[in-house]
Amino acid sequence: MFERPPTSRNRQTARRAALCACALLAAGGTAGASRGESQQVKDPHYGEVLFYFYQQQYFSAITSLLTSQQLQRINHHRDEAELLLGGMYLSYGLHREAGRIFQRLIDAGAPPELRDRAWFYLAKLRYQRGYLTEAEDAIGRIRDALPGELEEERQLLQAQLLMARQDYRDAAVVLGRMHGRSAWAQYGRYNLGVALIKAGDSAGGSALLEEIGRQPAVGEELKSLKDKANVALAYTLLRDDAPAPAQAHLERVRLDGLLSNKALLGLGWAYSAQNQYERSLVPWTELHKRPAIDPAVQESLLALPYALGHLGAYQQSLRQYEEAINVYSNEMERLDDSIASIRDGKMIEDVLQHDPVNEMGWFWRMQNLPDAPESRYLAHLMAGHDFQEALKSYRDLRFLAQNLDHWANTIGVYDDMLATRRQAYAQRLPAVVQEERARDLTALAARRDRYAAELARIENADDVMALANDKERQLQARLDKVETTLARLGNREDVTQARDKYRLLHGLLYWDISSDYRPRLWQAKKELKEIDRELAQTRERQEALRRAQVDAPRSFEGYAARIAQLRGRVAGLQSRVQAMSSAHARYLEDLAVAELTTQKERLAAYLTQARFAVAQMYDEASNAGREVKQ
Amino acid sequence: MITNEFTTMKIQIEGKTRHRARKIPVLLWLAVAVAMAPTVYADGTAATSPARFKSLDQEAQTLKQDVMELNRDLLALEEELLFPASTQVAVFVSMDVGALFELDSDEIKLDDKVVAHYLYTQREIEALRRGGVQRLYLGNLRTGKHELVAFFTGKGPHDRDYRRGATVEFEKQTDPKYIELQIKDVTRNLQPEFSVKEWQ
Repeated sequence: MFERPPTSRNRQTARRAALCACALLAAGGTAGASRGESQQVKDPHYGEVLFYFYQQQYFSAITSLLTSQQLQRINHHRDEAELLLGGMYLSYGLHREAGRIFQRLIDAGAPPELRDRAWFYLAKLRYQRGYLTEAEDAIGRIRDALPGELEEERQLLQAQLLMARQDYRDAAVVLGRMHGRSAWAQYGRYNLGVALIKAGDSAGGSALLEEIGRQPAVGEELKSLKDKANVALAYTLLRDDAPAPAQAHLERVRLDGLLSNKALLGLGWAYSAQNQYERSLVPWTELHKRPAIDPAVQESLLALPYALGHLGAYQQSLRQYEEAINVYSNEMERLDDSIASIRDGKMIEDVLQHDPVNEMGWFWRMQNLPDAPESRYLAHLMAGHDFQEALKSYRDLRFLAQNLDHWANTIGVYDDMLATRRQAYAQRLPAVVQEERARDLTALAARRDRYAAELARIENADDVMALANDKERQLQARLDKVETTLARLGNREDVTQARDKYRLLHGLLYWDISSDYRPRLWQAKKELKEIDRELAQTRERQEALRRAQVDAPRSFEGYAARIAQLRGRVAGLQSRVQAMSSAHARYLEDLAVAELTTQKERLAAYLTQARFAVAQMYDEASNAGREVKQ
Repeated sequence: MITNEFTTMKIQIEGKTRHRARKIPVLLWLAVAVAMAPTVYADGTAATSPARFKSLDQEAQTLKQDVMELNRDLLALEEELLFPASTQVAVFVSMDVGALFELDSDEIKLDDKVVAHYLYTQREIEALRRGGVQRLYLGNLRTGKHELVAFFTGKGPHDRDYRRGATVEFEKQTDPKYIELQIKDVTRNLQPEFSVKEWQ
């Protein structure tokens, strides 16, 4: 696998990528910008999706989005929602579905910036998952330069894809276009240099590594890369029988860096190859003190007695060989124990021991090596790409298993809820039906019609007095009595004054009522409308009740069928997730066991060589004894 | 650098007897040389081949998709069953900028009954500030007139304790009712404003 920027950088990049990949929509819309810059949320449920999304609760965001899409309540944000979904699918490693969404949006005329970013992230994920042809297809669709550092990352990715199919010439052209000082460019050149050497172009590859190995480096990342370049170059020179220049490169490597063991080992070999055996003892003795798990240290256990033998210190050499045999044997035993432990499934348990099962995703990385004996043998493997990708997938499956367990426990509540609703319906229905029946809608409608007819008559006849209020009616009744009394008294002179007073009061009452006639008529019509509205509501209610009597049982049956179907899906998926988790666990175990087997085979080869050297020394001593006797 | 450290170091060697070259393990260092060099994607062994991982990856993608779709269908069922459209009422909280008010908690009363009380984390506040909308309450109400009272507690301008309320009377009809409680910064008087929006 090619060299990548170290973990700290990866984490930063992953964080940036998380923002960019999931906020691909920043190029096309809402998320990724502050509220001030963003479009207005036009459907509150889309805002709810963003609420989860901005908290990096991508699973909740996806399920909330899918639910709202199904219930058709984010129609104002149809394209943005699709884009967001594509980005979040990508963050969960669902590059197949994400690709389909991006393609659909691009076909529908997505803006170029969005299009290019979408293809870039798709290419990156496909490359990480080993889909090289598909990654090349995606990166080939990017038309314009990407913003900022993304462009450099794109170029590096493109070069890596070209190198993966051994097209070093085009990879060199791509890398040549990169800005010379950037970390991405340096990593690209380093990878190209190593790839060229492997392909047989030592001169071309060495020139690239030489450049990185010589130039001053700032920061841990570039210093580490410089060490790598010098070590790679030195070993190439050693292989080509050029120990002196190799020595110069190795002497540039930092003693406290990650590659110091390899450099010390190589330095010893460089001295030895120049017959400077005594000098070679210095780096190898230093290595000898370091933990024997490192391959360079393991090799130094053989190299040291080898040099001592050359210097004629046979007793010392023999002791060192015997010590080496002891160390190799112990290490091989430990490796056997570790392989057994891995096959018992303990490795994955240990790796994810302190990892909360609250989210899943592409951007997750294992933070610390587990505290287990096999970890020290697997550090390199566990930091590597294949292991990490499979582990992420396993971790995602673990999250899904938990999610399904939750639903398996919850779905029973829906049955209870449905039963409660059925019961409540059955209990309430008779009372409601009775209550509705008690409202004699026909009698009410007849009363309303009589009222409307009377109102029409009053209006047509201008029957002012018909709209008198209670007090006025009482007054009218009293005046009617007075009128009756006056009529009985006839034309008597002494009641003339009373008759005049009656007329005045009657006129006054009529005046009062008639002056308020129009407002009273309007009010009466308003009341009629209100009666009409209430009658309509009552009719609606009765109709709804009638419908409910037909629909409710059907709806209960519908819900029951849905619950049963969903329960079946939950159970089916639980089995599939379990099977898939086991398959991933087996894959991870196989990766680890293959790595440990390689280490064991290497130790076995060293062990054979050490035993052979010891036997040879005894033979020589025995032969020397015979020579003396003869 | 390695050279500075080791040029002056001496290793003690026991009495030399004779110099006779033995077979040199010349290929020893090649193991390391090969180990340290990067490799392109190789076929690997059958047990660890990229083809095996790809096959697992394909199946895992299908499985993840299926689980997400199941979640969608379950959530939709849950909502339809527990909060039918005819009685559903949802209360959302949103924040515009939010520089003048540091939201700490809120409380909702529906028809004088407390139905929700929520304490916010910093992450949730950030999500609100960036444009997220929180669904604070989902419940059921009969059709007709109702009153909603919301109280917001937090820190106002000059880091002073701040508690404000907002009230709305609304009519619940037979379609779902969505109410959004909005927290806005009013730059005119440098005060936060709390308003209520009824979604149609």
